[in-house]
Amino acid sequence: MLLDILKILLFPGFAFLAAYAFLLEYVDRKAYARMQNRVGPPWYQPLADFFKLLGKKVIIPRNAGKRTFAALPVVSLAAVATAYVSVPVWGRAAIVGYEGDLVVVLYLLSIPTICLFLAGFSSHDVYTIMGAFRTLTQMFAYEVPLFIAFLSPAVLAGTWSITGILAFYADRPLLALVNLPAFFIALLSAQSKLERAPFDAPEAETEIVGGALVEYSGRYLAFMHASAMCELAVVTSAIAALFLPVLTGFAAADFALYLIKTLALLLLLTLLRASVARIRMDQMLNFCWMVMTPMAIIQIVVNLFLRGGLGL
Amino acid sequence: MGLVDKAIAWGGRNSPWIIHFNAGACNGCDIEVVDALTPRFDLERLGILQQGSPRHADVLVVTGAVTLQTRERLKEIYDQMSTPKFVVAVGTCACSGGIFDGCYCVTGGVDAVIPVDAYIPGCAVRPEAIIHAVDALLKAKLPKAAGRLKKDKKAKPDRKEDAAHDGAGNDQ
Repeated sequence: MLLDILKILLFPGFAFLAAYAFLLEYVDRKAYARMQNRVGPPWYQPLADFFKLLGKKVIIPRNAGKRTFAALPVVSLAAVATAYVSVPVWGRAAIVGYEGDLVVVLYLLSIPTICLFLAGFSSHDVYTIMGAFRTLTQMFAYEVPLFIAFLSPAVLAGTWSITGILAFYADRPLLALVNLPAFFIALLSAQSKLERAPFDAPEAETEIVGGALVEYSGRYLAFMHASAMCELAVVTSAIAALFLPVLTGFAAADFALYLIKTLALLLLLTLLRASVARIRMDQMLNFCWMVMTPMAIIQIVVNLFLRGGLGL
Repeated sequence: MGLVDKAIAWGGRNSPWIIHFNAGACNGCDIEVVDALTPRFDLERLGILQQGSPRHADVLVVTGAVTLQTRERLKEIYDQMSTPKFVVAVGTCACSGGIFDGCYCVTGGVDAVIPVDAYIPGCAVRPEAIIHAVDALLKAKLPKAAGRLKKDKKAKPDRKEDAAHDGAGNDQ
């Protein structure tokens, strides 16, 4: 019992998630800079940003809903941290794995997006409301392909727990290749969930200044940033567990593999961010509904037939 | 200074986010500010990022002599920033009004409207000068500023002023 609590709080739980999110942010920004032929920030940059924001004065706009404004960063961070507990990091099994945790993780991961929308909406500012509406519109577009893409490996594996899916594909690595289209759909949906280019219209700093977080300052902004980076860590971890089922059988080696997998996924997402321009909201909606969703549906139908055909 | 204050001051020194405001410049200095942000100079090495929102920024980089049109807006943007905050006047016009000083539509340098922490003369300034100024400013001013914020918390002297401007920008 005590050991479980320690696991959840320290390793591989919340404390590790925070540290790893800082590392991922550094790798993301450094790789992004190198891809643009720049030197990039030093390794302690995310930490320095965080500390600086903690020391700055918090300004709550007069028109904003004060309690909502202050509670949203915490709720957002808490939801992301809770989702991380069900993702396998150390060894084969997650700290808290149960049948159906995949759906719980997916829903917990949509809470930060809703928090972002509410943050923009409660700030009562032209730019934040614009950003909030875009966040919500984008969410309705990517959430469907994201869910279907995450659920198709589960359909083939016949279990709805991330730990179970990982174990299923670790025993049958060739079957994981079937999910390749779903993997790319999941990556693209993750990119739009995290509001990174080309799907960064909701925060478009060049047209709507920074979207939903324009009015946030000080430690609230720090926690909003932290929750976005933790979300990146959790999403890449979940994709690694569902689509890259390479396991050795040794817990420490599996952990090293986990780090390699998540960093590789992050570099893919960074490469995408560095190489494309921002697309408009209508283009984004069209892409999600006309390309990604049909592909995801085909994937899940193929998986259903495959499951029947293989007699699993 | 406790450990927390030290960490916060260290963070502030290593992560100055800037916001760029043109108070009536001829665009010469603006181009140099943008130049300083390009890959050639790469300000992110020093942790400097350009922000769109004044609420996120630590350093207000102002170019040009302050015209009557921009005076109120400059003040409003300064008030919207959260403390500790700094102002850098970029270019001769921002420092003193330059050749526009005394013009019928010009208030003067930036320090005629808001307090300025660093002056960078030049027409137009070089990007190296901007980088050096922002860096030197933070190294010199930040420990003091962290102490100042702490005092603010106790006495809350600028509470009223902030309250008056916290809703600024929401009236559209």
